[in-house]
Amino acid sequence: MTGNDFLSLFQGVHTLLESSTAIMLARIGFMILGMLLVYLGKKGILEPLLMIPMGLGMSAVNAGVLTLSSGQQGTLFLDPLVTNQEQLFNLMQIDFLQPIYTLMFSNGLIACFVFMGIGVLLDVGYVLARPFLSMFLAICAELGTVATFPIATAMGFNANDAASISMVGGADGPMVLYTSLMLSKDLFVPIGVVAYLYLGLTYGGYPYLIKFLVPAKLRALPITEKKVIVVTSGQKLAFAVVGCTVLCLLFPVAAPLFFSLFLGVAVREAGLQYFVDFIGGPLLYGATLFLGLTLGVLCEASTILSPKVLLLLILGIIALLLSGIGGIMGGYIVYLLSGRKFNPVIGIAGVSCVPTTAKVAQKIVSEVAPNVVVLPIALGASISGVITTAILTGIYVTIIPQLKLFFPQ
Amino acid sequence: MNSSVSIALVVFTLAFVLSMLVAAMIKVVYWTVRYLSSRMENRK
Repeated sequence: MTGNDFLSLFQGVHTLLESSTAIMLARIGFMILGMLLVYLGKKGILEPLLMIPMGLGMSAVNAGVLTLSSGQQGTLFLDPLVTNQEQLFNLMQIDFLQPIYTLMFSNGLIACFVFMGIGVLLDVGYVLARPFLSMFLAICAELGTVATFPIATAMGFNANDAASISMVGGADGPMVLYTSLMLSKDLFVPIGVVAYLYLGLTYGGYPYLIKFLVPAKLRALPITEKKVIVVTSGQKLAFAVVGCTVLCLLFPVAAPLFFSLFLGVAVREAGLQYFVDFIGGPLLYGATLFLGLTLGVLCEASTILSPKVLLLLILGIIALLLSGIGGIMGGYIVYLLSGRKFNPVIGIAGVSCVPTTAKVAQKIVSEVAPNVVVLPIALGASISGVITTAILTGIYVTIIPQLKLFFPQ
Repeated sequence: MNSSVSIALVVFTLAFVLSMLVAAMIKVVYWTVRYLSSRMENRK
């Protein structure tokens, strides 16, 4: 038995040694990165619900490469690049995650399940209490979602890819996935991975951005409420029904996302406790598990290794940084318009991903003024951030495919 | 580059207008439900 024959018994090692140097190094790099993500998830530095399945999936898929019957290298997890129907049907019976990928991930169903879960967790009362303020802060915090688009096109991306990577500025994972699935199927794996990695990392970075842009004196500014606004569940339910219908009417392409979000809100406000328990528990956490697992498994070196990945990493951080700056700028505008009575830190909460940014705003304010409470207003801005990101998803997904009519290349 | 800046501006303007419309819609829904519920209570 030669050394090569012996190694072929251990297909993972054999394929690693047989690969090109770039693929071999990338596979080893992803195995280590996967382990690091699990570690950072366990430490609580990154979101553990997502990072632990994602990290483990990333390590396992890059380790478990074997030579298939066709003679090509591959895995028994899934193949995202298959397009032939007959081949897909065969793969569904071989690759154990292929049914999840084909029937739940690539059509956006998982993103919709996560959105239903988010809807169930949202209290839209915070938005209904101050709709104009909340929506204004949220739209300012979309600066990165818009400003990254020309930067990406200047870096050589086409309009579809530029719009998809710009959505990272919206700081909403399911929206990024949905947009990239609709507009740039070739890049949705790296864009999705970049988005979810940064969402965890940047929230650690936002406190530094706030401290850099807002002096301590302004961070300690108290909020004076004229009166407490009471919002009934009937009003919240009416908003969910009307809001869903109007937004679906305006953006049919993003209707599944709007519907999923407002279904969660409607179920919560209608008091359907069995549905609330199901959507906010097994459905949300099950979808999050498979989302993390599928994202991790999609990080197979030969699939994800592209010269564009480095650019996507740079653009992702630019998008989130610009959105943070935009949010604080929005906070400053309201501060000036209100006669210097508004705490500009709240602006950062306009960057969606409920409730993390709202908590960041409260934490930063509490460090300098423990008695000042900004959380209710910050939550309103944060929830509005979900709506504005959905609006931008709708606009990009609707407008970008039409661009060829106006800007033929 | 110029066309992509124009597209970004159009996208932002559209998003801003729609966001303010959604805010206005929220206000309308809020006051309508409040008005209807107070009318129903007065009838009782």
